[in-house]
Amino acid sequence: MRAEELKGHLDALLLATLEDGPRHGYAVIEALRQSTGGRLELPTGTIYPALHRLERARLIAGSWTVVGGRQRREYRLTAAGARALSGKRADWADFAAIITAALAARSCPSTA
Amino acid sequence: MPEHRLIRDCLAELAAQLPPPVVAELADGLFQTCQRYLRQGLGQDAAAKAALAEFGEPRAIVAAFARASPARRAARTLLATGPLAGACWAAVLIGNHAWTWPRPAHHAHCAWHRAAVIALLASAAFSGSYRSARRTAAAACLGLTALDATMLAATAVIAPSVIWPVIVAATASAARLSYSVRALRAIHAG
Repeated sequence: MRAEELKGHLDALLLATLEDGPRHGYAVIEALRQSTGGRLELPTGTIYPALHRLERARLIAGSWTVVGGRQRREYRLTAAGARALSGKRADWADFAAIITAALAARSCPSTA
Repeated sequence: MPEHRLIRDCLAELAAQLPPPVVAELADGLFQTCQRYLRQGLGQDAAAKAALAEFGEPRAIVAAFARASPARRAARTLLATGPLAGACWAAVLIGNHAWTWPRPAHHAHCAWHRAAVIALLASAAFSGSYRSARRTAAAACLGLTALDATMLAATAVIAPSVIWPVIVAATASAARLSYSVRALRAIHAG
């Protein structure tokens, strides 16, 4: 799946990776890779700006830790982020149901 | 473990545009990606190249940060709402026959000030450079703060003749001034 096809859904995917607990940027990327079966063709460097955007929107909160002498920024889902994820899941379920119904094979004959 | 030369070059390119804490976070991500490839059995050069290929071009990463930057968002918000505040003050000036006022040189100065702020906002709103967007948006916010503060100070002088348009315009300017100050803080922090 290409990056442009993800447009509008990346935020929900990133929020979902933090649902089980805090993760740092690379762990978020790894979780995303596992949850999508590695089928996302997304430059991993562009995940970080998305995380910063979500942090500014207060959907996630970041904090610095030091691991092996390296600075590492860890993110956790906020209460607002959990609510946003829940809403995005419901929206996706509605959207998927509508498109699935519209694309399903029709049994009625064509009028042409 | 020291970083590979290719990784160092990439980080140097990112550091030329992005703030140090952002580069530190990206460096950690690149380091861990490289470590994963090394664990998979790749050599130093191949692991660094694979990590960089997976990470993406520095220019694309900087552009993604610029798109998500508080500077660009503030510039776009102020550009979009500018005509509304401008229309409010235009109504006040027309209602008070501003063309009959003295000190035309001062009017020209205000017009140049507004034009400069709009140019700076437009530059920040569409810039692909994180650092440039940050600088120009900060300058525009400072310019708008000065402009709105001047208009609010002038309100006391022109208020007696037309009351409600002045109240609306002053409220618009006060709201924009408050937003500009908050945006300046966000730009400085991010």
